[in-house]
Amino acid sequence: MTIDGQSVTVPPGTLIVEAAKNVGVEIPVFCYHHKLDPVGACRLCLVDIAPGPPRPQTACTTPVAPNMVIKTQSAMAVQARAEILEFELVNHPLDCPVCDKGGECPLQDFTFRHGYPTSRIDGPRLHFKKPIPLSANIALDRERCVLCYRCTRYYDEIAWEQELTTGQRGVQSFITSQFDQPLTSIFSGNIIDLCPVGALTSRVWRFESRPWDMTQTGSVCSKCAVGCSVTLWQRRGQLVRVTSRENDDIDEGWICDRGRFDYTDVNDPKRLRVPVVKGAGSTWNTAIDALAAGIKGKGPKLGISLPQDLTNEEAFLFRRLLDGPLKGAKVKMHGRTALPEPDPNQLLIKEIDDARVIVVVASDTEKDVPVVNLRIKKAVSKRGAQLIVVHPDGVDLDRNPHTVHVRNAAGSAAAEVEKLASHELLKSPGGPVAILFGDGHGSEDAADLAAACAELASKVGGKVMPLYRATNERGALDAGVAGWDKLDGVQALLSWGPPPTAGIPSSVKFLATWDHLQRPDHSRAAVVLPATTFAEQQGSYTNLEGRVQFLRPPIPVAEPLKESWEVLTELAVALGLELGYTGIFAVQRDAAQTLPGLADLAEPPSPTPVPTPVLIGPAHP
Amino acid sequence: MPDEKDQESVIDDVTALAKGLKTTLGEFFSPVVTTMYPEEKSPRAERYRGRHYLRRYDNGLERCIGCELCAAACPVGCILVIAAENTEEKQVSPGERYAKTYEINMLRCIFCGYCEDACPVQAIVLGPEYEMSDVSREKFIFTKEKLLEPLPPDVEARLKSKEQK
Ligand code: SF4
Ligand code: SF4
Ligand code: SF4
Ligand code: SF4
Ligand code: FES
Repeated sequence: MTIDGQSVTVPPGTLIVEAAKNVGVEIPVFCYHHKLDPVGACRLCLVDIAPGPPRPQTACTTPVAPNMVIKTQSAMAVQARAEILEFELVNHPLDCPVCDKGGECPLQDFTFRHGYPTSRIDGPRLHFKKPIPLSANIALDRERCVLCYRCTRYYDEIAWEQELTTGQRGVQSFITSQFDQPLTSIFSGNIIDLCPVGALTSRVWRFESRPWDMTQTGSVCSKCAVGCSVTLWQRRGQLVRVTSRENDDIDEGWICDRGRFDYTDVNDPKRLRVPVVKGAGSTWNTAIDALAAGIKGKGPKLGISLPQDLTNEEAFLFRRLLDGPLKGAKVKMHGRTALPEPDPNQLLIKEIDDARVIVVVASDTEKDVPVVNLRIKKAVSKRGAQLIVVHPDGVDLDRNPHTVHVRNAAGSAAAEVEKLASHELLKSPGGPVAILFGDGHGSEDAADLAAACAELASKVGGKVMPLYRATNERGALDAGVAGWDKLDGVQALLSWGPPPTAGIPSSVKFLATWDHLQRPDHSRAAVVLPATTFAEQQGSYTNLEGRVQFLRPPIPVAEPLKESWEVLTELAVALGLELGYTGIFAVQRDAAQTLPGLADLAEPPSPTPVPTPVLIGPAHP
Repeated sequence: MPDEKDQESVIDDVTALAKGLKTTLGEFFSPVVTTMYPEEKSPRAERYRGRHYLRRYDNGLERCIGCELCAAACPVGCILVIAAENTEEKQVSPGERYAKTYEINMLRCIFCGYCEDACPVQAIVLGPEYEMSDVSREKFIFTKEKLLEPLPPDVEARLKSKEQK
C-alpha cells in the first residue's frame, strides 16, 4: 500500500493509523488508542482512501488492503480534519493557561498542526460545573472533554469495571461516574494518561508544575513485585508526578494507583535528613559507630527487619553482613509471601497473553499483583482464554461471567489444584496453560501448593508463576535474605525501612532504624539513620518473573543523605568487615559474581533515553 | 620689524581662538539640558519598561492565574512560578488556579517585556520605575509580596472593617 507517496508493507489486518506510524506520517487521533479496540468516535483521523467512496474515511477503523492508496494531505482530507477540530473546539473552554494538560495536550498540538489558524466561534459555550472530583486522586473537567470515550472504554475493556460511564446524549453528553460515586478501582489513574485532553487530571499533581519545567526519568515502580515501568517527573528537587511508561513485556502501559499516586512521602517537608543518636542530631560516623556497637556480636539476639522494597544491592550487602559479623541474626522481610524459590523455567508475564487456560490459585490478583491482573483480563477478554480461579472468597476476576470459580476451604488449595487436572477445561486446553499461584496471604501451605501447581503444569502442559508480593522478594530470595523469622524476643533490632508491621517487640532494648519519615516508634530508637527513597537512590529490583530492573533516580542525593550501599559498606567497616566498595557498580559486580540469581547486575543497561516528545500515538510515551 | 609671514600666523591664531570661543560661549548661553539626577528625573517614554508589577482586579483578586507562561516566555529564565489551587475559603484569583510563589530575579531580567506579552490575563506588567539598586543580591529576588499591587483602597477598607468585627 501507499501512504502519501511512500510505499509500506504491513501484515494484513493492520489499521491504517498503525501503518502510517511505520512511515512517520502523522494521522491525528483522539479516540483511537493502540491498546483499546477502535470505535471511530471522534472522526479526527479522516483520510482519503482509494479505492473507496469519494468521502474521507476514518484511518483508525479501516484495515489496510493490498494496493490501497492513502492520502492524508489531499484537500478533502485536510479540510475534513480541520473541520472536525473546529467542531471539537465549539464548546471547548480554551482554558489552557490553567489546564494541567497544557503543554502536552494533543488537542493543542493537533489544532496547531491540523486545525484552522483562527476561530470562527463566538457563540455561547456549553458550561458544566468544574472541576468535579471523580475520586480523591482524579479531577474531571467536562467542558474540556472531547468525548473520545477512551476512559470509559478502558474501564470496560481493560479494567473490567463499571464505574465510569456517559450521561445524556449527543452534544449534551458528559462523562460521569456511576451514580456520582467516587471511583474506587485501583486502576483508575490510567485514565489520566489516556485522556487526550485535560478533562481527566491528577489531583495529586494538580497545578504542581508545567510539563516543560520537569525532567523525566524512566524508572521502575517500587510498590509491588510486578515491577512496572514508570516515568518519574522531577521539578526543583521534588518528585512531582509518576506516569506509566509502556513496556510490553510487563505492563503494556498500565500502572496501578499505588504506583501512580503513592509518592508524596518523597517530598515530605518532615523527611529525616540527619542521623540522630539518642534523640540528638549527630554525624554519620558517630551514628554508624553507635549502631555497630549496639548490634555487634549479638548473634540470634539481633533481629533485622527488611522492607519490601529492599534493593538487590542492599540485599547482597546484608548477605555479606549476615555471613560475617552479624552471623545468626534473625531476619524478617516484610510484605513477602511464604512462597518458595521459583522454578527456573517459570511463566513470564507476557506469556499470559498466549495462554488458552489460565488458572489463578490462592490470590486476589487485583490486590496482590495489580498489573498482572490486567494481563489476565486481556488474555480472557481480547484473546479468548478460559479462566479458572481457586479462592475461598469472591475475587476481582469473577467480574467475567465465564470465570470458573472453585471455592475452596482456606488451606485446601493444594488439594483443589490436584483435582483440577481432570477439569474439563484442562482436559484439552488447546494451547499453553498458565498457572499463577499465591500463598493465600498465609492461609495455604505454600510449599504444598507450589508442588501441586508444578505437577498440574506438567500434566496439562503449562508453566507456573508464583505470585510474589514484596517488591523485591525475588532478589531477596536470591540473596538469601528474604527471612521469615519471628522477631519476638530479640534484644537488638535493626529496622531497615518502616518499622515492622507487627510492631516493635517489647523485648527490644536497642533499636536502630533507617527510615525516611519521622514515626512515633523512633522515640524508642537509639540510632535513626535518614534514608533515601526510590526517587533518590540507585539500585535494582528483581520482579516476580525474575527480570532485573534498575532504578533511575530523578532526584540527586542531597547531603547529608547517603545512599544505602554506602551506609551498609560503612557499617560493615565499623563491624570489622572491610568490603572496599567504592561505588555501587563495585557492589553490583561483586553481587553478580557471588550470587547466580543476581548475575544480571553485572551490566546495568545504560539509562533509558529520555523519550522525545511523541507526535504520533498516545499522549505519554 | 615683523615680516609678512609672522603677521599671517597671528591672524590665524586669533581666528582659531575666536572660533573656539564662539562654541564655548554659544554653549554657555544655550539652555541647560542636564537633569540634576537624583533630585530631578528625566522624562520616560510612555511605554518604558522598568520594574514589574503584578496587577489586581478592582475587587482585589489577583489577576495572575499561575499559568507559568511568563516564565516560559522569559528568554533569560528569571521568573519562577509555583501554582496552587484556589479553594472556597481562600480565593486568591478568579478561577481554579493562582500563583503560590511568584519570583523574578531582577539581576537577570533584561526588561524585554516578553513576560508582559505572554500573560493571558495582563497580570504581569512592566512599570516605569528603574531605581532598584541595592546592596545585596538576595534583595533582587523580587517576591510576590513585593511585586503585587497594593489592594484597592475600598477593598482594603472593607477587609479592615471585617477584621475589626
Ligand atoms: S485540554 Fe488542551 S486545549 Fe483544552 S484547555 Fe486543556 S490544554 Fe487547552
Ligand atoms: S474524559 Fe478524556 S478520555 Fe474520557 S471521553 Fe472525555 S476526553 Fe475522552
Ligand atoms: S522583562 Fe524579559 S527578561 Fe525580564 S522577566 Fe520579563 S521576560 Fe524575563
Ligand atoms: S503573570 Fe501572567 S503569564 Fe505569568 S503566571 Fe501569572 S497569569 Fe501566567
Ligand atoms: S475516529 Fe479515528 S481516531 Fe477517533
